[in-house]
Amino acid sequence: MATHVYVPSDAEYEEVRGQRLLGFLFFLISDCVIFGDFIFSYLYLRNASPVWPPPGIERPYLYLAAVNSIVLFGSGATMHYAMEGMRHARLRQFVWFTVATIVLGSMFLGGQAYEYTHLHDTWSGSTFGASFFTLTGLHGFHVFIGVIFLITVLIQTLRGTYTQQRHFGLTAATLYWHFVDVIWVALFFLFYIY
Amino acid sequence: MRQERSGPLLDAGFWRAVIVMGIISAVLMYVVVVFPITRFLPEASSVSVPIDKLFRFCWFFGVPILVYVNGMMIYFAIRYRHRPDDPMDAVGSQIHDNRALEAAWTIGPAVLMVALAVFSYFIIPMYYPTGQAAASAVTMEAIGHKWYFEFRYPGLKQSVMNVMHLPVGVPVTLDITSAEATDDVLTGAVLHSFWVPEFRLKQDMIPGMVVPIHFTPTEVGTYRIICSEFCGQGHSHMWGSVVVDSKPDFDRWYAAQQHAAAAPAAAINLAGGDAAAGQTLFNAKCTVCHNAAPFAQRKVGPGLAGLFNDPAHPNLVNGQKATPQNVAGILQHGAHGTMGVMPDMQANGLTPSDIANLVAFLKTLH
Amino acid sequence: MDHNATSATNTGSAVTGGHIHPPPDTFIKKYVFSLDHKVIAVQYFITGGLFFILAGLLAELMRAQLSGPNNHVLSVATYNQAYSVHGSAMVWLVIIPLLTGGFGNLVMPLQIGARDVAFPWLNMISFWLFPPAGILLFASFLYGAPEAGWTEYPPITLQMPFGTSMWCLAIFLIGISATITGLNFLVTIVKMRAPGMTYTRMPLFVWATATTAFLSMIATANLSAALAGLFIARTFHVPFYDVAKGGAPVLWQHVFWFYSHPAVYIMILPAFGLVSEIIPTFVRRPIFGYKMIAYSSAAIGLLSFMVWAHHMFTSGLEHWEQFLFMILTMTIAVPTGIKVFSWVATLWGGKIRLDSPLLFVLGFLSTFTFGGFTGILLASVPVDIHEHASYFVVAHLHYVLFGGSVFGIFAGMYYWWPKMTGRLLDERLAKWHFWLMFISFNATFLPMHWIGLLGMPRRVATYDPVYASTNLFVSISAFVLGASMLLFLYNALRSARKGEVAGPNPWGARTLEWMIPSPAPYYNFKDIPIVLSGPYDYGKPLPYANISQELATVPMH
Ligand code: HEA
Ligand code: HEA
Ligand code: HEC
Ligand code: CUA
Ligand SMILES: [Cu+2]
Repeated sequence: MATHVYVPSDAEYEEVRGQRLLGFLFFLISDCVIFGDFIFSYLYLRNASPVWPPPGIERPYLYLAAVNSIVLFGSGATMHYAMEGMRHARLRQFVWFTVATIVLGSMFLGGQAYEYTHLHDTWSGSTFGASFFTLTGLHGFHVFIGVIFLITVLIQTLRGTYTQQRHFGLTAATLYWHFVDVIWVALFFLFYIY
Repeated sequence: MRQERSGPLLDAGFWRAVIVMGIISAVLMYVVVVFPITRFLPEASSVSVPIDKLFRFCWFFGVPILVYVNGMMIYFAIRYRHRPDDPMDAVGSQIHDNRALEAAWTIGPAVLMVALAVFSYFIIPMYYPTGQAAASAVTMEAIGHKWYFEFRYPGLKQSVMNVMHLPVGVPVTLDITSAEATDDVLTGAVLHSFWVPEFRLKQDMIPGMVVPIHFTPTEVGTYRIICSEFCGQGHSHMWGSVVVDSKPDFDRWYAAQQHAAAAPAAAINLAGGDAAAGQTLFNAKCTVCHNAAPFAQRKVGPGLAGLFNDPAHPNLVNGQKATPQNVAGILQHGAHGTMGVMPDMQANGLTPSDIANLVAFLKTLH
Repeated sequence: MDHNATSATNTGSAVTGGHIHPPPDTFIKKYVFSLDHKVIAVQYFITGGLFFILAGLLAELMRAQLSGPNNHVLSVATYNQAYSVHGSAMVWLVIIPLLTGGFGNLVMPLQIGARDVAFPWLNMISFWLFPPAGILLFASFLYGAPEAGWTEYPPITLQMPFGTSMWCLAIFLIGISATITGLNFLVTIVKMRAPGMTYTRMPLFVWATATTAFLSMIATANLSAALAGLFIARTFHVPFYDVAKGGAPVLWQHVFWFYSHPAVYIMILPAFGLVSEIIPTFVRRPIFGYKMIAYSSAAIGLLSFMVWAHHMFTSGLEHWEQFLFMILTMTIAVPTGIKVFSWVATLWGGKIRLDSPLLFVLGFLSTFTFGGFTGILLASVPVDIHEHASYFVVAHLHYVLFGGSVFGIFAGMYYWWPKMTGRLLDERLAKWHFWLMFISFNATFLPMHWIGLLGMPRRVATYDPVYASTNLFVSISAFVLGASMLLFLYNALRSARKGEVAGPNPWGARTLEWMIPSPAPYYNFKDIPIVLSGPYDYGKPLPYANISQELATVPMH
């Protein structure tokens, strides 16, 4: 590290980390609200319609989504092991599990792209389509950001930015990834089952 | 600190202030009770009376609250002001709180609010057709359009525009909604609201939703219907009226309506149209939708300048030749085409001589 | 007394205080892309002030149009655009940025004894989202500005020209900005209080800011989502609100008010907070019922999420929904009443100095209480059925927003001006400003209740001639009200040139921001202070340790 850069002491780092962690949690909460808004809209429109999905609209294919869900939850598991690696300073474990997570995340996006192109309903076609494409699209966008996020922290790690003690960026990426997983549970239930 | 509490703070001056404010409150509360609301806004439906009672009740407890908050504030500000002979660093009483006082001003308003909620609770069902109230003699529809009200009576083939008639003393249920939705951005349905201040009733007219309200008109008279939800250019002018007739008057009106539906509308005599009067009418009723400019300068409907001799548009929107008589026909019957709906003479509130005047005015536009 | 000083490390800390960043050296870093919360506050004040003048001038145009029936000062469309942009700008470009961005930034970090907010960089971003949003909103006049009011109820908003999309975008940016600010402030308040400043020793303005920050974080995130929904509905015909495809116009009203009701408390809680600061300072005694005032802020914050549908009593709700939202709405009168009564009780037995900040606060108490009371009239469903969408609502909202928030803003301005600039404002001008504004405010908005009850709907460019004389009176008063603002403008400019130098603590207040020089130095505190008890014990020694160096002239390092 260049000498003119201020290096915080451990106590200072802990303090700043606490602030950032809280800030990041707050960010996730407000992100949750954004999903909540559209989920509310979905439930409201569903409630306003005598039959659901609206007449002439088919639900998207459950099994494709189920496979996709497994892929996404799998990525949650690999993410967990990647973090374990960092916590115990096992760099190789971290790198490979992170790569696995990125691959699984991308597979999920691919699955979603396939699904989008094979649906008859459209964004502007019905209230079901409106909610479906808005919510899953928003979620897919989150996954996409998550993948970018992971690639970034991976590169950062390889360049030695993070250490066993100081790796807030990684913590944030992990939290974010798990958050996106949990949102998917709700969406899966709403659109494919309920 | 305890001894200070009942000390100088509760002195004679304080009690005097309390009493003065009490007297002011009492006077104002009396005014609230006797205030002649109906002198300013008649109570013309069965629900306006209880709603006004509730309104009075709010002011009845609100007035003392307002008097004491403002009064105490002013009294303290004067009584405890920093005087020139006080030391610079003089400080006030050291009391931090007082359980009893705080409990009182928490519980007091809570009790009032519960009372208000309970009274309101009993009034809400009065204007919605729940249970026995649904036993209305008449169930009819009120539909909001851009920018007029349409009323459908059971047993009348045609709709009645803007001016609705009701018999006094007969319970009515109004099914309130807005015009059917279309995709067109210019003619698409919008929100309106049906408000009759003298009835103390208001209901939004919502596309895709029918909301019934229930009431009994109790006084003969003509009252305003006001659109109170923003609905575009014509919102400022979207007024109708409700005429509450005695039963025989209503029956007569109703019979005339049934008769009118059967007879073909008479053609309008255009002779003697007054262009100046037409211009006033045009500005009041037509400019929301029409520019006094060439056809292409469209607002909702086409521009109307050069209507009778526009080589690009020899025919009117309904396909007929642009003659004065055919234009009068459009004003009389309305038109429904690609641009949207041109309301008919009922909806625009026009008499035959109004139409003659308007046509005379339109002829002057080039 | 000081037994808490040592156990305080978990409620706040001096650790980050150990290191002071070097001061910015270039003009750009100092005044444009500044990271300093005090500079950012001033940026908010100036930008918000400019928008206040613009939005106010729109209001004056509206009043000119309404001074008589069938006037043609503005066309109908322009009138509609004027009140839509007026309302939107006043809410999102004036009140919210001034109260949170301005006073929150200026005062909160100082009051908790911090050197800055938790994320100065985010703070800068928040600010820089604000001017573009404002420009977008006003530029929408070029592309057919929104006409459906600040509430933009569809379906009509789906039929409007591009300006409405610009409105969506502008408010979306403001929404993001406010969400970020909320998050930032909340972390700051939770994590960065000076040692010893427990939650019950926090100044009440900090309590108010914390609640506001929480509301901004949750409610405003929802606003961004709602606006994105409206935007895609307009642009890509996504049928959320399109009846022809099964959509529901009322859905928008739900998601909009789920934000916008909490938003009205975002607009009033900071004003409550600064009232709670100003009253004890000028009354020279401890604030009455500190804890109840603090907790009632939190109560109002929570309740505000549960009352949104009181704006929709005529939108065809189920009866039980109407009743539920009515009773929840009325509940808010209780915590608000606690505050009002506690403030009045604080005046009791004080040594009151009627300086301009306190005058504005007393004006606030009077007008806000009235506005709150008319709020109760609106909360009762049967009464609201008559009053909804009439000028009665317009009167209510100006009594709470102008009589509450704007009076609060001016009170705070007069109070913290010396801390911000180092100079005093002229008292005589300030008093003239107050009386002129107070009287013309009431003359403008009080008659609106009356004509509203008699049947004048809102959002109309013309009206039944029976309301002509009242409206003319209202318009004239509105012009006077506008002119009264010039007194403040003049006073502010005058103080910059020949204002008296204020010194660190011109009002003899006791919160931490007054313990340091005016204007506050960029590092705020040389040493992070230690807090020994609450801030309002007038007549007792100051409850701070470690502050003796703050006013010393020796430079640091
Ligand atoms: C904080 C918020 C705020 C504030 C301060 C104001 C201030 C004012 N408002 Fe506004 N108003 C709203 C928020 C606010 N308003 C909202 C939310 C709506 C609803 C919109 C909707 O329906 O969607 C509304 C609607 C509204 C209407 C109803 C429109 C309608 O329904 O048709 C009217 C009508 O009179 C009005 C008038 C005024 C006036 C005269 C002022 C004055 O007090 C303004 C005075 C201030 C100034 C003039 C600025 C300072 C100017 C200078 C320093 C320069 C000097 C100027 C002159 C000499 C002229 N407002
Ligand atoms: C700063 C902003 C602000 C604040 C603080 C409030 C506060 C309140 N508002 Fe207001 N309101 C608005 C801004 C605000 N409002 C705006 C902008 C609109 C219009 C939106 C639009 O359509 O454009 C609106 C509209 C509005 C409506 C919808 C009207 C309609 O469109 O039909 C209702 C209905 O319930 C309402 C109620 C209330 C209530 C109950 C309070 C309460 O919080 C008030 C509580 C305070 C008090 C009651 C006074 C102090 C208390 C005491 C002294 C104790 C004793 C009192 C009693 C026992 C009564 N408001
Ligand atoms: C609610 C909006 C509205 C109002 C109010 C309105 N019009 Fe129209 N008008 C229309 C529309 C829409 C059309 C076109 C109808 C069509 O496409 O067939 C039209 C068509 C016309 C035409 C035929 C024009 C042509 O070139 O063929 C005339 C004439 C006319 N209106 C006159 C009037 C007059 C006079 C008034 C006032 C009394 C008036 N309109 C009020 C909407 C309106
Ligand atoms: Cu119809 Cu307003
Ligand atoms: Cu509200």
